[in-house]
Amino acid sequence: MAAADNTSAALRRRDLCSRGIRLAGKMRSDVVDLLDTYVERQGLDASASVAAVEGVPVAAVERWDEQTGTQRLLENLAAYRAFRALLAQMLEEQQEQLGEADTTLGQALAAVLLQVSAFTYHLEELLRLESRGPPSEEGPEPPPAPHLSLFERKLRGLGVLRELAQWAVRSTRDLRQLAKPNPGSSSAASLAESP
Amino acid sequence: MFSGWNWVAHGLYLLWNICSLGVSGGLVQSCGHIIPESPVLTLGSSFTALCILNESCLDFGNIYANQIIWKIKNRVVPKEQYREINRTVSSVTFNDTSSLANPLTCNILADGQIEQNIYGITVTVGLPPEKPKNLSCIVRQVSKLAYPMTCTWNPGKPTFLDTHFRLKYRWPQENFPDCIPKDVNNSCMITDVQFFVNLEVWVEAENALGKAESDPLVLDPIEIVKPLSPHNLSVNSEILPTVLKLSWENRISAAVMKLKFNIRYRIMGDTNWMQVPPEDTASPRTSFSVQGLRPYTEYVFSIRCMKEDGVGYWSDWSEEKTGVTTEDKPSKGPPIWRSIAASHSPTFWTVHLMWKALEPFEANGVIFKYEVTVRSKSSLSSLVEKHNVNTTNLTLKLPNGTYEVTVIAHNRVGASPPSVLLIPASNSKAPVKSVRTLPKDGKLWVGWTAPNSYVLKYVIEWCLVSNSSDCIIEWQNEPGNVQGTYLKGDIKPFKCYLITVYPLYADGQGSGQSVKAYLQQDRPSKGPTVQTKKVGKAEAVLTWNHLTVDEQNGFIRSYTIFYKTVDGNETAVTVDPSKTEYTLSSLTSDTLYTVRMMAYTDEGGRSGPDFTFTTQKFGKGEIEAIVVPVCLAFLLIVLLGVLFCFNKRDLIKKHIWPIVPDPSKSNIAQWSPQVPAKHNFSSKDQMYPEGSFTDVSVVEIEADDKKSFSEQDLKPFDLLKKEKSTSEGHSSGIGGSSCMSSPRQSVSDSDEGETTQNTSSTVQYSTVVLNGYRDQTPVQVFSRSESTQPLLDSEERSEDQAGGGDSTTQRQHYFKQNGGQDETNTDRPCFERTKQIIHANEGDLVGFAQLQISGQSSQLLGLGLEKNTQEAALSDVLQASTEGQTVRSESVEGNPMLVDEMPKSYLPQTVRQGGYMPQ
Repeated sequence: MAAADNTSAALRRRDLCSRGIRLAGKMRSDVVDLLDTYVERQGLDASASVAAVEGVPVAAVERWDEQTGTQRLLENLAAYRAFRALLAQMLEEQQEQLGEADTTLGQALAAVLLQVSAFTYHLEELLRLESRGPPSEEGPEPPPAPHLSLFERKLRGLGVLRELAQWAVRSTRDLRQLAKPNPGSSSAASLAESP
Repeated sequence: MFSGWNWVAHGLYLLWNICSLGVSGGLVQSCGHIIPESPVLTLGSSFTALCILNESCLDFGNIYANQIIWKIKNRVVPKEQYREINRTVSSVTFNDTSSLANPLTCNILADGQIEQNIYGITVTVGLPPEKPKNLSCIVRQVSKLAYPMTCTWNPGKPTFLDTHFRLKYRWPQENFPDCIPKDVNNSCMITDVQFFVNLEVWVEAENALGKAESDPLVLDPIEIVKPLSPHNLSVNSEILPTVLKLSWENRISAAVMKLKFNIRYRIMGDTNWMQVPPEDTASPRTSFSVQGLRPYTEYVFSIRCMKEDGVGYWSDWSEEKTGVTTEDKPSKGPPIWRSIAASHSPTFWTVHLMWKALEPFEANGVIFKYEVTVRSKSSLSSLVEKHNVNTTNLTLKLPNGTYEVTVIAHNRVGASPPSVLLIPASNSKAPVKSVRTLPKDGKLWVGWTAPNSYVLKYVIEWCLVSNSSDCIIEWQNEPGNVQGTYLKGDIKPFKCYLITVYPLYADGQGSGQSVKAYLQQDRPSKGPTVQTKKVGKAEAVLTWNHLTVDEQNGFIRSYTIFYKTVDGNETAVTVDPSKTEYTLSSLTSDTLYTVRMMAYTDEGGRSGPDFTFTTQKFGKGEIEAIVVPVCLAFLLIVLLGVLFCFNKRDLIKKHIWPIVPDPSKSNIAQWSPQVPAKHNFSSKDQMYPEGSFTDVSVVEIEADDKKSFSEQDLKPFDLLKKEKSTSEGHSSGIGGSSCMSSPRQSVSDSDEGETTQNTSSTVQYSTVVLNGYRDQTPVQVFSRSESTQPLLDSEERSEDQAGGGDSTTQRQHYFKQNGGQDETNTDRPCFERTKQIIHANEGDLVGFAQLQISGQSSQLLGLGLEKNTQEAALSDVLQASTEGQTVRSESVEGNPMLVDEMPKSYLPQTVRQGGYMPQ
């Protein structure tokens, strides 16, 4: 019975990883497209550099290959939960700014938001399979949005989307790493992570 | 009457009470109400309604529950369905709501007479929604980023109520707004779905009677995607003539799904698609090179795609794009055949070479010329002719012999392999056997049995056989390993085709074997026109012409001749189709017949025009068969009659000619002073010993001169002789006493040489009555006839002539006796006279005839008859004399009378007692 459960869990995990990878790929593709649309509609320069935005998780990480599976999942989960909030805020601001006039951008933002939500769900499910469970979202409250000008909000949105695109790439790599048949890695990681 | 008015007054009072109660609240207020109020009921269920009366109505209107009447759409509900709950409440129950109708009203019968409506409700009957079934979804890509998902389901049977369907879907951690169908109840479209996350989808149906949900469908929308087909398809030719390269753009991101493809293609103008092997295009790509194509051929391409792993739906086929492969040299030589016609010169042939243009897939380009080479195979001649033509035929005049003809087709790339045809001097090789045809699938199949020798190929020649056009030859080649093929041409139905199969060998060709065939047969377009060739009494020979090929429409299998009389049944006779003539027999004579003829093919027959004829009344020779026997029978009867008459002439003579006694044998003859009594007497005594004469006629015959019978006078002699007519004379002598004639009429028996006999008209001149018998002395009485007939006149004249006549005129006394004496004896004196006359005029033929005549027709001559009468009598005599001389020659000798002894005059005398004296 336990063996059957393990097999089912393994299949479930593999399925979640596979679909998560593809979802991340699509999310990146869509975000890239959204970036073009966003830059165009917001009147920004595609080559404009954006400084790090506060509250936006950074995809770059040192010693990526040394991370455990759970660690990867937790960092991804934290990042996408943050993106979900940021995108929701962007969508609200976009609707406030443009109203119903620019449905294309709004729809694209909503689609990406949904994908972020879906990916978040994947990560939570994977964490449940890791016998750890997803951490509660009731973490530290996100810092209150500073009062920004319209242009600053546009730039922040640009930064969010760019970082999301980066995260999509990283998430793909993370899930591929998780999908590799290395059953001891996660447990080792878990053990390593265990205090 | 009083009671009636009381009821009316009571009703008005009740009405006033009700109205007053209704208005007492300020507005119209009902006296009661129904529970439930406008219910929605399940179809087929039971239903009970309550009508509750207001207490106030009880007080003022004397209205109670037992007065309540329930109605459905003005139809009173049977009281069996009522139940009085209490004095203010009445219920009605319906076991089946399907019997309900609107409105359902509660009414009061006030004082049992006036019906007043209290309240009414509308009942809605329907069904609760069924559980939606067969929920399925598909994501149809409409643009690069838009993936609406459409779900459909079976809503179940109608509920008759307003039922709302909702398509619900959710992620495990997130709910989405419901999809509400618009204008339909069995499908809904979710405008945007997210892939790679399982989506739970279900349908909820709800109405006033309940709610139902379908089974949930859990799916990842990416698995039900029908992507947009690739677009911007382009086709480019490659260097190789058999390759075309296709390029396209995919309209779904590789991040969403990886695609596999199907590529189909067909030759322009062809309807059959070919497909690139699916395994060659099972991976994501945007181009593909299709190989194995025909050179210089225009192809049409189309492409479609689906999720690489095959989960989902194929896209629609893309728009079609065409491309043409490059040219290549012809793949084969043109099929070649020939027809040979005799030339004016016996040593030359007119060879008409013909070849077929290569099919496009064989030509591989544009054929711009044909190179024809003719080589003589004869060892004596090395004739080589080369011709470059751009047509598909060539006529050559060649010396008789065997030739090898080669045809090569050229296009811009190169030359075809040569096609070789051997034209032999004679077709002496083995032919094919058993050529047969079979219509099949609208085409004409020709089969044959191959000869024993190896055959390179076959040539099938055919042409349409028609009266209106020449036989235009069409032909086709078939490889030597087949024994049947379809004719490749426009083969028309109902037309006759002459098909010939030639086997071609390596060293010559076999003779052709032909067969006629139809692709499809029909009834003949007309029937044969039949007519009679000969009509007899019971038979008729019918003849007709064969139908022309154009009229036959098929193989004539038989003819049927139908013939009938006007009112008779029709008779049918089946005739072999090769015949053009038939004899109808057993016909009725002298009858009008109508005949027609039908020609039959396998598909039926058609009748020709009617033809009528009448059989003859008599058959051939029938008239002759009747007439000839009748004539023969007549002749036989005549002959028998003649024989009978001949045999019974005595009897006839007796009845016809009266017996005239021979005066010479009478006693009076002896008495006559001019005749020696002894001579006659003695002879008479010998001849008539008993002397029983009853009648005696005395005839005085006077013979004319020889000169009186001129040759002219003899001319009508023959006529009279032929006619055998009765000789008419003005005999005035003693009737019936003439030896050969009668005074008026004599039977034309002179041919037989009979002595003439008197007819019944003969007049007795005198009668000698012998009173004596045997030994007794008879008393003879002579009585002169009192007749005034010319005989007496003649007699008188003869007497006158005798007295004062010409001395040269010979007078003859002719005696004839009757009375049962032998004929020969009777005639004997006549011939005695004739004989003697002949002696007297010996050597003179005319005189002989005259004498015969004078002797036998003495009566005529002696009486000085007219010339014609004499001639007529002469003919009789002339005929009779020839026989009479021989037959009766003996009796001549016994005649004692001589010419010299003939008395010069005649006087009736009594020879014996009782003499007679002229008065």
